[in-house]
Amino acid sequence: MRAIGGIVARELLRFLRQRGRLVSSLARPFVWLVFAGAGFATVFAGAGAIDYRRYLAPGLLGMVVMFGSLLAALSTVTDREAGVLRMVLVAPIRRSTVALGKTLGATLLGTMQAVAVAVLLLSLLQLWPGPAGLLLAFAAIVLSGLALGALGLVLAATMRSIENFAGVMNFVVFPMLFLSGALYPVRRLGPWLHVLVHVNPLAYGVDLLKHALLAEWAGTGYGGEMPPALDVAALLVFAAAGLAIAAALLGREGGVTRTAFRSPA
Amino acid sequence: MTATAIHARGLGKDFGAIRALGELDLEVREAEFFGLLGPNGAGKTTTVHLLATLLRPTRGTARVAGHDVVREDLETRRRIGLVFQETTLDRDLTVEQNLRFAARLWNLPGRVAGPRIDELLAQFGLRERRRDAVRTLSGGMRRALDIARGLLHEPRVLFLDEPTAGLDPRARRSLWELIQRLRSASGLTVFLTTHYVEEAEPCDRVAVLDRGALAALGTPAELKRAAGVSSLEAVFLARTGRPLAESTAA
Repeated sequence: MRAIGGIVARELLRFLRQRGRLVSSLARPFVWLVFAGAGFATVFAGAGAIDYRRYLAPGLLGMVVMFGSLLAALSTVTDREAGVLRMVLVAPIRRSTVALGKTLGATLLGTMQAVAVAVLLLSLLQLWPGPAGLLLAFAAIVLSGLALGALGLVLAATMRSIENFAGVMNFVVFPMLFLSGALYPVRRLGPWLHVLVHVNPLAYGVDLLKHALLAEWAGTGYGGEMPPALDVAALLVFAAAGLAIAAALLGREGGVTRTAFRSPA
Repeated sequence: MTATAIHARGLGKDFGAIRALGELDLEVREAEFFGLLGPNGAGKTTTVHLLATLLRPTRGTARVAGHDVVREDLETRRRIGLVFQETTLDRDLTVEQNLRFAARLWNLPGRVAGPRIDELLAQFGLRERRRDAVRTLSGGMRRALDIARGLLHEPRVLFLDEPTAGLDPRARRSLWELIQRLRSASGLTVFLTTHYVEEAEPCDRVAVLDRGALAALGTPAELKRAAGVSSLEAVFLARTGRPLAESTAA
């Protein structure tokens, strides 16, 4: 348990030492709110029911968790290049402990960033969901952080270097964002895209956030689109599966181990 | 009777079709200063990684500090320290934060870790730098911190894999003095790999490894006597038919 605490504490220390990352993670959602908000508002079909910027709030928080947790977990790739992962792997702890520590660290970072953004964003939009709504939103953020952190760790364990990072952004982060319901309802997407929505952890996180923050507009079709229980269950399944896969990948010889300990072959 | 710190029988590792290590039989006694000498690519690092449970052997068995490296990997890791060829420190964290991080990974309670870290920083001449980021340290200081990190949990066996690689002669000399001092510390077994002959000279015993096989084993004096030569460099030449320096460059 102490090892998990150590891994989490290191993630936190690193994050706090990187000012640029701190500032950009807090500023990013507001850049989206201003620019994407202004643009999409003009074509938003639900304008009569809800102000588009308010509709965007759950999606933006989901986006903050995604960038926060997924990218934090991806830092494992940097650890491997810098050799720190070797220190972790030579410690007397199980690979699953390493995976859990990394995922919890990523969850903590994603949650902290999302909470900080939520305080500003909800005040700015005068969106007051009440105590129950806020509690559900917090749960949605933590669960999304777990699921996305675990997913990030799986990606990190399969990637050889940080150069693949652009690929991850283009083929994972952006599709996940556009198919999450963060920017528009997913119910009108075609059947194929709809299948993709259902394998997208962020979609469940954003949907749960909509239940939490947009309950007032549930009747207009611009609240949550899936049952909240399904959202919670799906996020838990993604987190558990991601952790199990990441632990197996970290433990496999010839995977991270082989890359971390460059063999003479 | 002296206890055995490392006991390997027929230990070998293949990477695909490449035989990195043949079948190694090796015994290292407790508190021994043991050197594994050989050119790059001889299988030194593979040997260390097998003994440190980071690679699974293709054949053979090994016990380190009384534990089987495959079946009792966690127990083995708890009792060994390992310093890699390349640094494993987090460059963005301070000297002390790195040691605190390692202390947690090794499950040392804060009240044990605190004094231990103070002691190591003093011993390794890093006390003044404890609040500095590792990125600001010289290569020699980083290496010293790597070794301090390896000793934090008071291991019974310390593996040093080419500890002086990449250091300038002065840093190499001062690091070497540090290792010599460690050696006299009570009860610690030190397993050193190197391709520098002069670093193997002060070892209690030296194993010469060439192309994944043991070419010679004994005290430096025994090896020289048996080969009828005056230096370990010449022992390598006599045993393998190739000079060490040349195979190092290759």
